Amino acid sequence: MGVEKDRVKLNVGGRVVETTWTTLANAGRNSMLGAMFDENWNLTERESERFIDRNPDCFGILLDLLRTGELHIPPHIPEKLLYREALYYGLLDHVRAAKWGPFDGNRLRLSRSLQGQAPGDGTAIRGGPDGGCCVAHGSMVHVYDWMLEEHPPINLDYQRVNDVGWVDSDNVVIGVSERLGRGDGGMGLFSSHTGELRYKFHVCHDNQVKSYTAGALSFSSDYRIFSSCKGRSNEYGVGVWDQITGKQIDFFYEPLGWSLGDADKLQWLEGSHCLLVATMFPRKDNCYISLLDFRDKRMVWCWSDVGAPFAVDEKRVRDAIAMEDNNSICVVNEFEDLGFLDLRSSAATSLRWSSRSRLMKGKMPEEPCYPKLALHGGQLFSSMNDCISVFCGPEWVLTSRLRRSYGGSICDFSIGGDRLFALHSEENVFDIWETPTPPILGFV
Amino acid sequence: MSNQKKRNFQIEAFKHRVVMDPKYADKTWKILEHAIHEIYNHNASGLSFEELYRNAYNMVLHKFGEKLYSGLVSTMTGHLKDIAQSVEAAQGGSFLEELNRKWNDHNKALQMIRDILMYMDRTYIPSTQKTPVHELGLNLWKENVIYSSQIRTRLLNTLLELLHSERTGEVIDRGILRNITKMLMDLGPSVYGQEFENHFLQVSAEFYRVESQKFIECCDCGDYLKKAERRLNEETERVSHYLDSRTEKKITNVVEKEMIENHMLRLIHMENSGLVHMLCDDKYEDLSRMYNLFRRVTDGLSKIREVMTSHMRESGKQLVTDPERLKDPVEYVQRLLDEKDKYDKIINLAFNNDKSFQNALNSSFEYFINLNPRSPEFISLFVDDKLRKGLKGVSEDDVEVTLDKVMMLFRYLQEKDVFEKYYKQHLAKRLLSGKTVSDDAERSLIVKLKTECGYQFTSKLEGMFTDMKTSQDTMQGFSACHPELNDGPTLTVQVLTTGSWPTQSSVTCNLPAEMSTLCEKFRSFYLGTRTGRRLSWQTNMGTADLKATFGKGQKHELNVSTYQMCVLMLFNNADRLSYKEIEQATEIPASDLKRCLQSLALVKGRNVLRKEPMSKDIGEDDAFFVNEKFSSKLYKVKIGTVVAQKESEPEKQETRQRVEEDRKPQIEAAIVRIMKSRKQLDHNNLIAEVTKQLQSRFLANPTEVKKRIESLIERDFLERDDSDRRLYRYLA
Repeated sequence: MGVEKDRVKLNVGGRVVETTWTTLANAGRNSMLGAMFDENWNLTERESERFIDRNPDCFGILLDLLRTGELHIPPHIPEKLLYREALYYGLLDHVRAAKWGPFDGNRLRLSRSLQGQAPGDGTAIRGGPDGGCCVAHGSMVHVYDWMLEEHPPINLDYQRVNDVGWVDSDNVVIGVSERLGRGDGGMGLFSSHTGELRYKFHVCHDNQVKSYTAGALSFSSDYRIFSSCKGRSNEYGVGVWDQITGKQIDFFYEPLGWSLGDADKLQWLEGSHCLLVATMFPRKDNCYISLLDFRDKRMVWCWSDVGAPFAVDEKRVRDAIAMEDNNSICVVNEFEDLGFLDLRSSAATSLRWSSRSRLMKGKMPEEPCYPKLALHGGQLFSSMNDCISVFCGPEWVLTSRLRRSYGGSICDFSIGGDRLFALHSEENVFDIWETPTPPILGFV
Repeated sequence: MSNQKKRNFQIEAFKHRVVMDPKYADKTWKILEHAIHEIYNHNASGLSFEELYRNAYNMVLHKFGEKLYSGLVSTMTGHLKDIAQSVEAAQGGSFLEELNRKWNDHNKALQMIRDILMYMDRTYIPSTQKTPVHELGLNLWKENVIYSSQIRTRLLNTLLELLHSERTGEVIDRGILRNITKMLMDLGPSVYGQEFENHFLQVSAEFYRVESQKFIECCDCGDYLKKAERRLNEETERVSHYLDSRTEKKITNVVEKEMIENHMLRLIHMENSGLVHMLCDDKYEDLSRMYNLFRRVTDGLSKIREVMTSHMRESGKQLVTDPERLKDPVEYVQRLLDEKDKYDKIINLAFNNDKSFQNALNSSFEYFINLNPRSPEFISLFVDDKLRKGLKGVSEDDVEVTLDKVMMLFRYLQEKDVFEKYYKQHLAKRLLSGKTVSDDAERSLIVKLKTECGYQFTSKLEGMFTDMKTSQDTMQGFSACHPELNDGPTLTVQVLTTGSWPTQSSVTCNLPAEMSTLCEKFRSFYLGTRTGRRLSWQTNMGTADLKATFGKGQKHELNVSTYQMCVLMLFNNADRLSYKEIEQATEIPASDLKRCLQSLALVKGRNVLRKEPMSKDIGEDDAFFVNEKFSSKLYKVKIGTVVAQKESEPEKQETRQRVEEDRKPQIEAAIVRIMKSRKQLDHNNLIAEVTKQLQSRFLANPTEVKKRIESLIERDFLERDDSDRRLYRYLA
């Protein structure tokens, strides 16, 4: 194709723009522009310019995006307008990819704060794989897509939500408490777009379907769903379901003197093929952390503070996260001290606290929230009061601190779709933190 | 309640609804429907993509998605019904071509329709969980065209006919077949399977069932296998040209089952051409083909292996039990080696060096070699023969090859200690008579035995070599010490360590006077330098060179044994001697003396003595004279001893007994070793362990082991458990 032939003239809503085939080809065949200039539609048409009956301002922004891969929205154009136009052209994915950069905990900028309408305290917030999120309040889960448009909310028999998680960008699983005597509650899979219940997961004991309370959730890459379960007749443990068929495939019963069914946190470890199950104070009087191997139904590693002497400055484990690359489990106490447990030595390992910040002590806010931990791309995150700390390197040095002025303490936060979401305990506000796109004079 | 009374007025809420042109949706759909018609009619050039896309967008936007979707379904269905009709109307050969052309048209149209409806595909369809446009187009094609009653069976039959005619040698249009099967695959694996593959496999099975029946009636095994191989290759090639690659495994399975698995036994046992015939005639190519084909089916190789094993065992058994073969040990072993070579070559060339076949070969040889208790002796004799003369003029490498082969046979022996016994005897003879051809070859064999059986197996053999070397040095010392002896007879003594050498009943004969003096001188020389030793003479093993002058002045040098020398020396002083006189004078044991006289008087051309009467046997009353007429072309004459190379029956018994005797301490040692480490063990396990430990030397007889255990109990090495009599305990 010669230089002359590469040129193409478009009349968009009365404004004539000239561009090239090569620029338009960046839209991909699976877009309106890609189809329009496909040879199927193009062989005989040799008009001097093509007309498109759309908003010319937005087209200009999108054409610029196709030309440069960058998105610049002038202040006078509402984002929603641009998204609508992008959807028309089939370029929404292009817009999303250009809107924020790859996640880096040390370069995060507050992008937006959103006020929800749910009453009461938030329970959990979870970032989805494509940048959307869902927020659990009481018995309701509010779902937002990456454009932060709210979708129909989700509930399961209006029971209290204990945990929620994204299976993929189209599906959300929620675990709720059971309602005594009614068989309600348990765990359900919902469409994130329509809020419609797609599947309700059952638990069977001795071939009998039993009602249960689903606690913490975790997912594995081979399409399994894990949930800590409490049954009515002391059927406590961790259930496993197949995400494709919805059927229960396994159940790890809680051993005597240990805690699995009450667990606050489950984490599937791909490398060691184990599930981390952690029950923390104040759910139980003591903290129990164990690794389960479902292949031979074995608890391969466990740690508990049962019988440990507590000093005056009680250090109770409030959250735990396994770091497979470091062969350790990181825990945090209410003073945001980090502690480490070695996964290589089996059990009875002593907890090594890194005494970092004692400054907090004595000036706790009125409504404290327990610290939470997250791990992403070798960076460790911990929330405390109204800010989130970022730790990096082999010694986990504090490198950044994210803080926002209002909304009270952070009760939960989550990283997903290259975004960090933080839910505040007051005023029902959540923040979206993004990494800006790389600077113009940057190195790729 | 009060509300009801007040229901006189109803004030409607003021609603100003935005009402769209009620015909809007219909109008818009008409435009799109028209466009779909034009696309199917190859008339799309007049259409504006932007307009169509916008219209479809608007329909979805204004909640007419359902109307758009159902309109699409019915319009497309209508077109596909027309297409089906035109395909049905196609005559004969043009059927597939028409189908293929219409399929290509539909695909192109489908792509364009999806372009127009892209917005619906992206938004309306996922939220309502309907089938996406492309998939919908394929499903409708499948339902309306492929499943049309006029097309479905016709398509299948046409495909199967084409395949059949290709199998029978006709040339067909593979291109169109490839396109049609590709279409079926595009419609989904289940469509390809149900509409074609299942039937294809079924028809193929029938085809090959009939064909294989025909072949097996008229072909011999080799030809049949060739045909089967060709068919397999054809099918593989067919799949690569126009079928789904996943069909390959299935169709080859069909051919394998019908052509090979169902006829396996018949092929193997086919008269005059089956497996045994191929083995006998070394038909490497056929065997290799059989191996490669049978490998594909379950139990195929094990069938071959079974038949081969039983054939090897049978022919091996014949070989080792054939009384003819027992007459010539060298030939016997050579035959075994040839047999081994033959099968090694077959396994190497035809059976891909398959380990399981090598194992079958080894176990077969182990089986039949040990059927003949004389195998150890014969193998030793074979080695003896090779080391005495067989290796003359043969390169060093070839020597190694032969010895390696012999070692292979040695490995099959269960009674390795019997071999050792014989080997020691034969080696002793070779060394003492200086008959060994190559010292290197001897030592190389010893090294091989050492690697095979360990140090203790060969330590005595090595001792024998050391003795030979030391004796040489001793003799040098002796002659240096006694220079005056140079004039008289020369004495060469080999000093043998007791225990290293095969023990022989040492009945010393009377040596001639001049010899006894010499011997005494050596004795005092030897004992003078080494104290605490005892020297006894093994006159039955020596040799002597005599200078003799016969009646007509013929001078000869006679190479004889020590016994023969003693006899001949008597005739220096007498012309005629009776058997009794000789026996008295020499005190040689009767059997040896008879043998010795036989070789002196009865062997034609070597008869330095004359006997009266001239009978074949030596009698007690016979008389002997010097044969004055003795003549020979050679100056040096070797008078052989009449020694049965093979052992005679009583000798065999004796060797056997000695072997048994030697085993006893070895068994005992093994028992003690095991019990010392285990402290206590029950009877059966002990027997099993002992057998295992001794396996490398011989197969321990459980009765003998039991006897040894009894003996050890008597001698307080072991004790029986009080409560469990089958349990033994070690007593430290």
